[in-house]
This record gives sequence, C-alpha cells and structure tokens, in this order.
Amino acid sequence: MKVTGKVEKRDLEGGFFQLVGDDGKRYTLLGATGELKSAQGARVEVDGTLDEGVGIAMAGPQLVVRSLRKL
Amino acid sequence: MMTATLTVRPALGERLAVALFAVIALFLLGLAGCGRGPAPVTPITADAIPGLIDVEFHGVSADHKAQLARLGEVLEDETVDEGGFAADQLLELRVDPAAEETDLAELRKNADVVFAEPVTRVSALWVPNDPDFAKQWHLRAAGATQAWDATRGQGVTVAVIDTGVYPVDDLDASRIVSGYNFVANSADARDDHGHGTHVAGTIAQSTGNGKGVAGMAPLARVMPIKVLSAFGGGTSMAISDGIRWAVDHGARVLNLSLGGGGRSLAMEGAVAYARRKGAVVVCAAGNSGSRGVSFPAAYPGAFAVSAVGPKALPAPYTSFGPEVALAAPGGDKTLGEEGGVLQETLAEGSTSQFAYRWFQGTSMATPHVAGAAALVESLGVTNPGAVERVLTGTAREPAVRDAEKFGAGLLDAGAAVRRVTVVWAATRLALALFGAFIALGHARKLSQHRGGAGLPFWTGLVAGAGALTALAPLGAARVHFLSAVALPPAGMGLHWLGMPGTSMAASAAAWIGWSALVPLAFALPARLAERPLGNAFGALAAGLAFGWAGMLLHAALWRTVLLPGLPAMVAPLFVGICAVIAWAAGRGLLSRESLR
Repeated sequence: MKVTGKVEKRDLEGGFFQLVGDDGKRYTLLGATGELKSAQGARVEVDGTLDEGVGIAMAGPQLVVRSLRKL
Repeated sequence: MMTATLTVRPALGERLAVALFAVIALFLLGLAGCGRGPAPVTPITADAIPGLIDVEFHGVSADHKAQLARLGEVLEDETVDEGGFAADQLLELRVDPAAEETDLAELRKNADVVFAEPVTRVSALWVPNDPDFAKQWHLRAAGATQAWDATRGQGVTVAVIDTGVYPVDDLDASRIVSGYNFVANSADARDDHGHGTHVAGTIAQSTGNGKGVAGMAPLARVMPIKVLSAFGGGTSMAISDGIRWAVDHGARVLNLSLGGGGRSLAMEGAVAYARRKGAVVVCAAGNSGSRGVSFPAAYPGAFAVSAVGPKALPAPYTSFGPEVALAAPGGDKTLGEEGGVLQETLAEGSTSQFAYRWFQGTSMATPHVAGAAALVESLGVTNPGAVERVLTGTAREPAVRDAEKFGAGLLDAGAAVRRVTVVWAATRLALALFGAFIALGHARKLSQHRGGAGLPFWTGLVAGAGALTALAPLGAARVHFLSAVALPPAGMGLHWLGMPGTSMAASAAAWIGWSALVPLAFALPARLAERPLGNAFGALAAGLAFGWAGMLLHAALWRTVLLPGLPAMVAPLFVGICAVIAWAAGRGLLSRESLR
C-alpha cells in the first residue's frame, strides 16, 4: 500500500519514525532508517506493507517500508 | 532523593549482625581456650575514608599513647566493656592518608592491638557505588533502595522477551542465562536494536560494581528471548513461541515491553499458559497516549503497567484503561533528557558499541515492575497471583485518583518487600500463637498438661513460624548469615537449590517444606519420651509444630505458594490440610505429656 504524509521522529522507546498520514492515521515505520533520518519533517510517499502491528512502539499500525519518495 | 551516607555509625542491621557474630566468635575463642593471634588485616577498600583508622587496644599504656601521637591525631577514645573480659580501648585516629597502609601494619604488629582497620562509609540503607546511580530517579521512585537490604532478586530468572539482550559492560554476563532467538531461529539472542538491552538493564544492571548505573533486581538472572527484529517489530507467533519457551525453561517473571492493537488467540493462549505455569507476565500498557491498553497487556493473566514521569504523574505518551494494574516510572522527557530512564545499552545505530542512554516509554516502566516481582519472588512467594497482590497491595497512592491511569497506584518495591518479610512474619507468628494457645488451653482443660511451655517451646514456635524473616530488611542481602532468614523455613530450599520446578531437588524441597513432614519428623521421635515437654527436644518439637502450622496456614490463606505439578487452585488446600496435621502433631505432644 502507498501512504502519503509527514515523517516524524518520536523520542519514545529509544526513538522510532512515524508517518503522520494524510488519512489521519499515525503509522510506525519499520526499516529504511537511514533514509527516514534524512526525511525528517518532510512530506513523503511510503510504499510498504502493514504487518501485525506488534512491536516496541505500541503507538499505532506498523508499516514495513519498501520504498520512500520525497514529495 | 539520596540517602545521606554516614561515617562510622553502622546501620542497626549491621550492628546486630556484628554483635551476634562477636558473641559467636568470643564463644568459639573461649572454647578453643587459646590466646589471641595477630590482629586481623582488613584491606583498604574503595569505601574507606582516606586517613581514618579505628584501632582497639587491650588497655592503653603510655608507650601506646606515644606511638599513637607519633602516627597521628586521636579523634575519639572510648572504653569498650565486653563484660567478663578486661575493658578494651577503642580509638579513632587521623593519620596521613599516604602512610595509612604502613601505619595500619605497624599498629597490627603491636601484641595489645585487637584490630586496626580503615574506617569505611556505612549508610543506613545500602546505596550502590555505581557513579550514575544518583541520576536514576526512577529506581528510587520505584522503592528499590528500600528493598535492596532484604533482597536483590537472587534465584529468580526474568525473561526479557524483546529485541534481544546484548551483554554490555554493565550487565553481569554470568547472570545472563541461555535464551533463544525466534526471529532467526537460533540460540544467539543478542540484541541488534538496543531496546531489549535497555529493558534488561532496568531489571538487572550490575549494581554495586562501581561502574555505570544500577538495576531493580541486580542478582536476578536475565533470559534473553529475541522475538523482535532489528527494527523493533515482530509477529504474534514469534512472541507466543517466546513466551512458552521462556516458561518451559525456568523463567518465573516475563517482561513484555511490547505490544500492538490487534488481538491474537495464539498470544492470548501463551499468556494464559505462562500464568498457569506460575510465571508473572508483566506487560507494557502501550504508548498511544490515549485510552485503550495494547495487547498482550490487555489479555487476562497479564499484569499491565502504565508509565509515570519524575513527578509521579502519568507520562503524556502512556496508554491507559481498566486493564492497567500498576503505574511505574517510564520517564517523561518533556521535563528534559534526564526525565527519562537511564540504563546501559547499545549506542544509537550501533550493534557493538555501548552507551548509557535516557529512554522513555511504557516499555521502561514495565521492567521496574518485573524487577520488583523478582525481588518478591526471591523471598519465597512462588504464586504469581500472590506476587501481583503484594505489588498492588503495597502500591503508593498517586496524587490524583485515576484507576485507569495508575491501576492500584505507584509501584513501591520497598513496601512490597517489607510486607513479605515483616508483615507476613507477624501474621505467621500470630497464627502460630493462636494455634498454640488453643492447644495449650485445651490440654490444660483436660488436665493433661500443667505449667508453662518453656524457652525451647517458644524458640521452636518462633523459628517454625518463620518469624525471623522480619529481620531480613536489616541486611539479609549484605550480611551473609542473615541471608537464610529472608525466607520462611518451608521456603528455604529456594536459598540453596533455586526456584521449585527448576530442578528435582528444588521441587522436592518445596514439597517437603510446604507439607507437614518436617514437624512430623521432629514430633515422632519426641513422642518416644514419656513426657515430651519435659525435655528440650520434645518442647522444641512441639513449638516447631505449632510454628510450622502457623506458617502453613498463612501460606494457605494468603495463597502465597505453588507446588510443582499441583494445579494452582489445589496448592492452598494441600498446604491448609498440612497446617492441620502440623498442629495435630504439636497437640499430640501435649496430650502425651499428661496422660502419664
């Protein structure tokens, strides 16, 4: 699935990235850590798949990033 | 709040322990009937205050005074009367710190010197020497310092079901037991993320090792179970497998600092399995900052933990809801970086470098509770339900009453340990006395027994009831020969053999202890005497039987223990029946007494 939104770093659990989606949901992003670091605060389109949503973040659905495109 | 360290004045526990030790030592010395050897050598340790020496003389002569004046300045001079022996003179001396070692050696050569030793810092509570412990507001808020004098979690295995655990510098590698990696299906459960190692640090960071920071239950063992990837995500199948593997391999407390929004029958079943097998399943409530506790915390059998910050107010990120059992420090970095929880873990972005890092999250609150559960379990409370009741029953009242955000209140490990050692000791003793008075009164009414019961009787009763656990907060964790009294006699197998269920010997010890076998083993030979209460052994056996009955009755009523192989519901019934048998064994000795 493809979701657009803004990349945000959350200072929780040692730190993870979330996508504040245009659909109003917050997605925890798994993978592509390097790219996400440079995309902080930027609007992006993420292509990825939803997993079961279980992990350390415990703050919404989890999107495993396949690719990332800055808008 | 740091506990002020005092110089010279030892804590009451140490004073009692030292006094007891001195009595035994003097007794042995008297038995040996020999003179004194050379003064013992106490090395100068990191705790020593530079340039301060305590020295005790058998009478101070003018020569001694001249020697002391040459070495330094006498700060204190008091007469120590041990009673029966010639009075000794105890002096505190300030010397040149650089020459302390040679001064001590010179004093020890003097035949009239009983001992000469460096003065060390002794605090009212054991304050670990880990340099950054002072920054760990969260451990003090969780009541760890008040618990550490009684126990540090020895004998209990806590499974960290997470991203793995890396054996960082400030984590005692010998306390990390074998685990499993369910992500890669291998035995290598090392962390490649940093989350699990931080969590493990809160549970059992090496404490008192003069390095880094401290953990809640520093002598507990950590079982690393890797179920989450390097990105911190996982599957319900891996987590379920991890839960079952951990319980089947001896973990008594499970720490699940993870969660998600979706229900999984597999995970729900695994949590129920773990609980049924006797494990406490501590889970993070979630980081949604809204109502709705995540899974597995919301499953029946899980112990859900919400997070508070340094001001003991709910952290802005914490999830909440009716399933929350307890609140614990998870950090609040809106108050600054140091509002987080500080432990050693992997450096950011590294899988081989270490760093002390401030984290916040309900994941950080959870291991404070898991560590406290290990502390309680190490005192012989093997029923997970009882461990949970102790933790909730001793929780501190929060500033605002909100059961969905705080559950029963704020974690207080010190209060939990005091309940199990002091309050339960008093309860067991009261039940034992109640049983003994009924039996004595009954025997007197039937004119079977006249007169008092004597010292051996009461000694047996107090020992059998496990009333000595009340002494544990005085220093069972640091004074070696007090360590056994931290447990009631029925649970003492745990001290030497480990948790019941982890080995045949440990299980057998639990079965023997929590049955009536020990009092019967004393009562049967005592019955051979015509008047059992007429001799010390018989009186001791009778007292022990009533004491043991009180201890068993307490365990049955408060449902504190599980027995290996017995369903949790049945254990209190078995222990209760054994309490009656133990009481009858004591009563039997009284009736035997009189019928002659």
